[in-house]
Amino acid sequence: MTSGANRTIRCLGYVALPIACLVSTAAIADGIVIDKIYDPYVQPLEKEFEFRSLVFSDDDLADTQKHRFGFGRSLSERWFGEIYAVGVKTTGEEFRIDTYELEFKRQLTEQGEYAFDWGLLFEIERQADVDIWEISTSLIASREFGGWVGTANFDVIYEWGDPVINEFETAFHTQFRRRWSEHFEPGVEIHLGQDTLAVGPIFAGLKRLGGGSKLAWELGYFAGLDEITPDDTVRLTLEYEFY
Amino acid sequence: MPKLIERKLIILFLVATVALPMVHAATPEIVLEIRNHLFEPDIIRIPANTKVKLVIFNLDSTPEEFESYELNREKVIMGGRKAVIFIGPLSAGEYPFFGEFNPQTAVGKVIVEDENDAAE
Repeated sequence: MTSGANRTIRCLGYVALPIACLVSTAAIADGIVIDKIYDPYVQPLEKEFEFRSLVFSDDDLADTQKHRFGFGRSLSERWFGEIYAVGVKTTGEEFRIDTYELEFKRQLTEQGEYAFDWGLLFEIERQADVDIWEISTSLIASREFGGWVGTANFDVIYEWGDPVINEFETAFHTQFRRRWSEHFEPGVEIHLGQDTLAVGPIFAGLKRLGGGSKLAWELGYFAGLDEITPDDTVRLTLEYEFY
Repeated sequence: MPKLIERKLIILFLVATVALPMVHAATPEIVLEIRNHLFEPDIIRIPANTKVKLVIFNLDSTPEEFESYELNREKVIMGGRKAVIFIGPLSAGEYPFFGEFNPQTAVGKVIVEDENDAAE
């Protein structure tokens, strides 16, 4: 690679992430976008079961729980696909399946090859009982800084159907995680979107179960920093990865 | 979102997604083989503060996963195929790696040497 190309790629990463951050805060939209932050990597042959839970609480709103059950598998050396059913429980209401989602992740560059590692995420989702659809594309960037790993996801989302107004939305998520030990890694995340401004600590780790299988966990707490974002959000993710 | 910013973001996004995979790296290469669930060589010496490209040929018929928390790398290599792993730049020290599917036999380490150590 030429030094010019190297410089271009490095500049692209350094410039893109802050711009995405600024634009996201300026955007206007209607969703709470606190969610998992994706890394850009795909492993061939890998399969996983995933449980992801988000609990939102706010003094002015009913508490809401969002539970996601997924199964994913690699489709090739560079593509990974996952299907989800998402259930919602709001205080005073019964648990119900709210949304079905399909997502595909594409690893674009080898880890460590360039200044940033890049990937793309494509998602399509449909609400279970109303005709509302959403598609999104996320640019994923990741970089190792000594014993730290920084990861950013910039999402462009299009939502349509009845009764929503068709619209584009944007969101930005970033995570800085200390690579302390594979059993325990602390970090911090920031989530920005049209109706979201939240920050908080996360803790992650994994347990090897033999034969290439692993149980990865992640727990995070995010404080809402504006009037719209829920005061408190807790996220728990469990992923059982196997071959 | 203002239209001008949205347009610039779309251009940035397209450049990032289309142009990046077209760029090729030119870093020092080291070739490894996986044979009978062993890494050959199992000790790799590289200079400090230098990015290195590991080209790993899996000569077994079964897949293997190159795994190293210390190197922050994880890569499945299909049987009879090769894979490329970039490591570094690293500070001097020892960085163990192993084969996730055969951790009893497929083990090795990367020894990162300062220029002074390498000269001795």
